[in-house]
Amino acid sequence: MSTDAPSYLPRRERILANTLVIVLAILTLLPFLWFVVMSFKPSDEFFTGIDGLFFKPTLKNYEGLWTGRFSVSIWNSIVTSTVSTGLALMIGTPGAYALSRATMRRERTFSLLILASRMAPPVAFAIPYFLVYRNLGLLDTKTGLIIVYLTFNLALVVWLMRNFFDGTPRALEEAAWIDGASLWKTFVLIVLPMSTPAIATTAMLCFLYSWNDFFFALTLTRNSAMTAPVEVVNFMNYEGWEWGKIAAGGTLIMMPVLLFSVLMRKYLVAGMTAGAVKG
Amino acid sequence: MSRSPEAANPEAADAALPAAGAINRRDVLRTMAALTAGAAVGLRSPPVLAQAKRFDGVTLRGACFQHVFHENVKAYLPEFEKATGMKVEIDLQAFPVYNQRMDLELSTQGSSYDFINITFPYSGRWVGAGWLAPLDSFVSDRNQTPAEWNPDDFVSGTQTPFRGKDGKTYGFAWEAGAMMMGIARYDLIEKAGLNIPETLEELAAVCAAVHGKDGVAAYVNDKLHHWNFPPYLMNMGGKVFRKAPDDLMPTLDTPEAARAAQYYGDLLSKYGPQGVLSFTDDQALRSQTEGRANIRTNAMAWVLPLAKRADSKVKETARFGMIPKGAGGSFPGCNANGYGIPVGARQKEAAWAFIQWATSKETFRRIAFERGGLAVPRRSIIDDPEYRKVLNINGQDVAALYLQILERAGEGNYMSYRTVPVFPQVGDKINKAIERIASRQQSAEASMATAQAEAVADLRKAGVAL
Amino acid sequence: MSISTKVSDYAAASDGRGAAIGALPHFERQRIRFFWMLLTPVLVILAIVTLLPTIYLLVTSFTPLSLATPGTAWNFSDPLANYKVLFGDSRLHNSLWVQLKLSFFTVVLQLLLGLVVALLLNMRTALMEALRSTFLVPMVLPPIVVAIIWKVLYSPDISPAWWIFKALGWSVATPITDANWALTAIIIADTWEWFPFTMLIILAALSMMPEELREAARIDGATSWQLTWFVTLPYLRNTLLVAGLFRLIDSIKTFPLIYILTDGGPGTVTEVSNYYVFSQSFNYSYIGYSSAVTMVLLAITLLLSWIIIRVVAGESRVD
Repeated sequence: MSTDAPSYLPRRERILANTLVIVLAILTLLPFLWFVVMSFKPSDEFFTGIDGLFFKPTLKNYEGLWTGRFSVSIWNSIVTSTVSTGLALMIGTPGAYALSRATMRRERTFSLLILASRMAPPVAFAIPYFLVYRNLGLLDTKTGLIIVYLTFNLALVVWLMRNFFDGTPRALEEAAWIDGASLWKTFVLIVLPMSTPAIATTAMLCFLYSWNDFFFALTLTRNSAMTAPVEVVNFMNYEGWEWGKIAAGGTLIMMPVLLFSVLMRKYLVAGMTAGAVKG
Repeated sequence: MSRSPEAANPEAADAALPAAGAINRRDVLRTMAALTAGAAVGLRSPPVLAQAKRFDGVTLRGACFQHVFHENVKAYLPEFEKATGMKVEIDLQAFPVYNQRMDLELSTQGSSYDFINITFPYSGRWVGAGWLAPLDSFVSDRNQTPAEWNPDDFVSGTQTPFRGKDGKTYGFAWEAGAMMMGIARYDLIEKAGLNIPETLEELAAVCAAVHGKDGVAAYVNDKLHHWNFPPYLMNMGGKVFRKAPDDLMPTLDTPEAARAAQYYGDLLSKYGPQGVLSFTDDQALRSQTEGRANIRTNAMAWVLPLAKRADSKVKETARFGMIPKGAGGSFPGCNANGYGIPVGARQKEAAWAFIQWATSKETFRRIAFERGGLAVPRRSIIDDPEYRKVLNINGQDVAALYLQILERAGEGNYMSYRTVPVFPQVGDKINKAIERIASRQQSAEASMATAQAEAVADLRKAGVAL
Repeated sequence: MSISTKVSDYAAASDGRGAAIGALPHFERQRIRFFWMLLTPVLVILAIVTLLPTIYLLVTSFTPLSLATPGTAWNFSDPLANYKVLFGDSRLHNSLWVQLKLSFFTVVLQLLLGLVVALLLNMRTALMEALRSTFLVPMVLPPIVVAIIWKVLYSPDISPAWWIFKALGWSVATPITDANWALTAIIIADTWEWFPFTMLIILAALSMMPEELREAARIDGATSWQLTWFVTLPYLRNTLLVAGLFRLIDSIKTFPLIYILTDGGPGTVTEVSNYYVFSQSFNYSYIGYSSAVTMVLLAITLLLSWIIIRVVAGESRVD
């Protein structure tokens, strides 16, 4: 894409459009920025009304977080999201490759299955998982959450990686076969290395989905495996609406996903429409 | 659902709540004896705890809903941890969140928690479903519980909700709650030439007269209407069930119920601060202590801070009263919340050591006199002369008021609506009905009729014969 | 569809694609075996983590299972009882109606806003390229954080908006406890959160739009407005449809916003079906009944997903 404005745009229109975009961008960012700003606000200045617009920033709210259970919940979030992402990639990538190199007659049915597992209301999985976990002792365990996150991560990996493999030439693999390399060797030494960027992108998307999960963590954990999003909501409850801490916690949770989404802006659509729109 | 307030439970008040001398002399004598014994042994460190750090290395996990009492317990926790060697972690969550999550946790017979709070309106459900461990063997075992701990010291009504059909005890109260009226800015009422309202008509008149004066909303309450509203309902002659606990046919669609709902909905919508319908306990309390709202009817634990909390701005102008009576009489809410041990808990002995300590005379005494946690379920403390002194606030004898309410609740069995196993579901319907009325979506009649229909359907779903 | 059909489909079809060596029957057989080996774990695990639970859910929906009532598990004495109750449950019907309103307005608003921003950004001035990422922020934030952000904005005590209202001397009620505004408050927050999604899809489609289409019209002297209206929009028709369907399905899942902002209230004004199921199952442990309601939601979701696939497939056939 070109970065220069197309020359045919009249100057006036361009200025108008630019202004509009600036205004819209500010409107979009304001609620978010306000929240981040709040996290640096001293806790006794929250109810000061309009005078509260100006204050001396403090890190107190953040410091307060590390003493408590919040750090544990962040750790839980990191572990569950990372492990589930890794598992999904390990299981899903080879399958995606196989799917791409073979053809399926019922393409559409398969798409539907993938799409449906991304679209199903979480409660549809939460109820059976809850019932089964009761008996298996998996409630409130990181393992339990990791398995549940596979419900959407696995489908995501298969879909994205298959799209990717579809777009890569087969010539390299075939050359390797002719040279006598085994199928396994070809896959591990030729195909996988050239997929590294795609795998990284897919990993980030899976991570983002797991990290952002609230519903499963809310219903399937109590305390030992509780993730950060649920813990932040707990502040609202037991800390008596300590807005500074809530804002600080919220800001911390959103940092990794913000970072990732900047890195993979181009693939967000493909990831979020898995099953329907090819990337 | 219901909150936490304090509590004496219904029947509770029974004999227990002693009203002044009328109470059973027997109780008092027993208490005195116990006290003396206690003094002799040295209450500070019950012998059991003194036994060399019995629980070294144990981490005990508990969960409770957000309530000042637990904050108070936490303040003394380090001493207990030092004495026993265990580490105690208490998760505190907002009242509705706590109940929802704990209900779920108990239903799985999980082992996430070693001790929990038994919420009054859930006591029937949790005890009845067999989700809690009986405590009798702990209490009677002299190796685990010293004699002077004395379970009979609990105001007897407060223990009723924790007793199962099998006669066993599944919890011990940490709170004997009595609902009263807390006024944050009595000066505004005086200025309007009025007094502490004693009837519902007077309350409405006071609210109308003082609302908005000095920027203060006349009335406030939190969003747990199933706890806040029934006293208004009953005072106006209505009921939640036809005859709890035997006949659980809801009676939310009576004319009395509609009138009461209208009245209560009006208090919130006409005289409440902005956004009152989403207020939690804490927000309601703070709106009062900061002088932004005036009158609230709630458990003593939630209104006493007006006068007792260090950062309260209304200490001087706080006053207390009975919840105003109506044509049907006076039915102030009473309840009892307690500690219990989930049936799946892995460290029951350590959990009992904690419960025993937290509900011991010594702990209650210190919480009451050092930190103002005065909704105490142990008679030996209520009977203490110092107790009365502490509860003498701005010239009012609040202790007498408290006992009067507990006593009143003991007269009938009118609080038993709250401990039936299906109350949580019905309480949800009441919440929604009041919200619809206070947000002016539906007339009181229509809204309560909806609540009735939904409650009936829900009870059927739960397999209750109506 | 069952996995086994799918696998056999695959096996049957896989021989069609012979590469140079693929023609050798021995190698071909080896390849098929290899692909099977790679594919089996995914299919098995996918079936275990998604299909099995769904079947369990279906089975549960035929029982009166309530965790607080013993003896209700695996009780099939009246398998359709839950489904009968479902037809007479006015709170469920209300929740479906709320869902419909919420879905309609959020989808329409998100499409409109997404379209406007996408069309603007597609002008690709240097400034726009620079600002592009800022529009993605709401969408990638954890939904629970989005909900808390709006809770702040809607709480008069701490909301900068209300400070301004107050300074202007306006008295504005907080929308989340006002029966007339609660749903609107949710719709606004949801639109903010998800218009970037429609925007992204539309932008992607625009970037693939053949320049000749516009060029031809421009030569005919069309203004920018005419160009947009008569050329770009028709080109985007299917894209808009797909984006809308995606948002429609996702709107059925709305949870954190309602959980944090209104708890379904006041009354049941903002109680959508998903939320109702949540409270029935996880607040009051009516698991059997909730399963039945969830099966209905699941059926709706499947149907809508199927439509999406049809639309997308139709599109590629046209290509």
